[in-house]
Amino acid sequence: MRSTNLDAAIATGAPPQARSLPGTAAAILVPLAAFGALAGLLQVHEQWETGLLVLAFLAALVLLDRSRAGRSLAEACRTQSGIASTSAVLAALALLWTFREDHYSLLMVATVALYAVAGVGLNIQMAFGGIANFAAAAFFSIGAYTAAVLAGHTGLPHLLVLAAGGVVSALIGVVMLLPVLRTRGHYVALVTIAFGVLLRTLLEVNDTFGGPQGMKIPGFAPFGSDFGDVATIAGFDVSFYLPYALAAAALFALAFLAGRMLERSWVGIAMDAVRTDEIAASAFGLSPARWKATAFLTGNVLIGVAGALYGMMNGFVNPNGAGFGESLIMLSIIVLGGLGNFWGAIVAGAVIIILPEKLQSIQEYRLLIFAVVVIAILRFRPGGILPRPLRTLGRQQGGAS
Amino acid sequence: MTALLACSGLTKRFGGLVALDGLDFAVAQGETIGLVGPNGSGKTTFFNVLTGLYSPTSGAASLDAVDIFGKSPQSIGRAGVARTFQRCRLMLDQTVFDNIALGVLRAKPLGLLSTLFRRGRLRADLDATIARAHQLACRFNPQLGAALFRPAGDLTMIDRRRVEICRALIANPRLLLLDEPSAGMTPDETRRLMDDLLAFREEAPHLAVVLVEHEMDVIRRVSDRCVVLNFGRKIFEGLFDAMIEDREVQTAYLGSGQ
Repeated sequence: MRSTNLDAAIATGAPPQARSLPGTAAAILVPLAAFGALAGLLQVHEQWETGLLVLAFLAALVLLDRSRAGRSLAEACRTQSGIASTSAVLAALALLWTFREDHYSLLMVATVALYAVAGVGLNIQMAFGGIANFAAAAFFSIGAYTAAVLAGHTGLPHLLVLAAGGVVSALIGVVMLLPVLRTRGHYVALVTIAFGVLLRTLLEVNDTFGGPQGMKIPGFAPFGSDFGDVATIAGFDVSFYLPYALAAAALFALAFLAGRMLERSWVGIAMDAVRTDEIAASAFGLSPARWKATAFLTGNVLIGVAGALYGMMNGFVNPNGAGFGESLIMLSIIVLGGLGNFWGAIVAGAVIIILPEKLQSIQEYRLLIFAVVVIAILRFRPGGILPRPLRTLGRQQGGAS
Repeated sequence: MTALLACSGLTKRFGGLVALDGLDFAVAQGETIGLVGPNGSGKTTFFNVLTGLYSPTSGAASLDAVDIFGKSPQSIGRAGVARTFQRCRLMLDQTVFDNIALGVLRAKPLGLLSTLFRRGRLRADLDATIARAHQLACRFNPQLGAALFRPAGDLTMIDRRRVEICRALIANPRLLLLDEPSAGMTPDETRRLMDDLLAFREEAPHLAVVLVEHEMDVIRRVSDRCVVLNFGRKIFEGLFDAMIEDREVQTAYLGSGQ
């Protein structure tokens, strides 16, 4: 049953150039170009080539932001997000297939994808729930340790091991709920920092989980055979990292869809309301504690699942991965990518994870350069590389259904 | 005339400070009460206690015989009380629709699993709520209806107030509490907002309104009765003309002249 009012609302709520041929072309081409750039980054060996790519990337960013053509490209991707996402998925699959025999590139792509899954979780916590989680790497490691214990010492099917990584990460997050709900802003950040430091120290000094050496983790074997033993797919020689990269990409797609469905619903409005103004939200009957807890625990589930698969891919986990520095890297990925934009975590993940591998000369200055980049982004483009798009729940633009 | 809202001996203490001191207050269905008083006289505290943001120290309050004394904001909202705020409390980065929808959010299915797996129901629910929000917004300003999916931060001050009022009205409240709707607006904007409000009152004759306001013109125009607070106590209750003649009210507002 659709009233005329509704039609009016939809007609007027939609942007003027909702669907046009050039717009559709742009929505297809922009993701292709982005993944093309990623392929280029994976391909290059010389430092100067990498440097050129970085300059091209920066130029593209400035053009997208400052030129009229760039802005309409970005707008086209926003209004036709369905087409843009489909194009991105196909481009990602093409990229993985192109690099199917390249261990190192696939490992990096899979790492970026898994950090992006954790990034979706962190985004739910920070961008939606408003909880500054400075212990993301700790929860990521909890997922990996869970995988080490369950996959190494029980016969639990590995898909369930992944889920368990998320559940355990959320359960340990429950311990944090009380202090997190009782504090605000910077104090939440302090509480999470303290938790991360405590967890890492505990893992180091206690031998139950292998102490400083950490633990070995069996490879991911969701359907009986270990991913590590895969050498051919459909007759083609492939790296054993290809199935991992595909699984990581699939996990990102799932996390992306779930996160987006939550955002584009009453739940998304509730979280935004609580984050923006707890008093107004309470006056309209929302419980800030309920929504912060929901955001925190949901985010932890995603971070934990990502950590479990990451651990199985690497084959081991140790307390170093749970450290504060690692948490900062995860946090800078979502701040750089754009708080609340899930694609942003992929772009920034590529910048933060792959770029230093390619630019060996900056390796030692990694953290220094991240800091400068994050400050520059906050100064010149506070929404991040890809800012969070406005949520419009009208029908025409809806990726909701 | 039976009262819709009935408060008796409502008291709120903050430590040693008595912000509300044994307040008796009644509003009938369809009545508009102008609530006035100098700064710090307890008007906003009264609203915060009524809507459950503060828990009252003692007294009693009921809405149509349903006890709302010291209840949670959720249950008070469900009983039919809605409000606006003195300072604009909108999500400026979110759309006008998102802001209005906050008014009915507590009645929506908010479970994570139903959100993920019952998208068809969600879509239908969204469409119905969009239609309702659009209808409300258009009643106040057709252009606001057209801006339903623009960020609330793009709106003018008066339209932001209108969004706040739509947000309060979308849940079909029985009692609407307006906390200084004219704050931060020009006299002309205030007049237009009051036009809206009076027009809306015609269409919803059973809605009771309590209006906190410093603009005496506004109070004169829209209120049936006035109540004056000072230091948390009611010092006057009656018609507007009697209020401005009242010695104690004049003293409270302007000082004793000594």
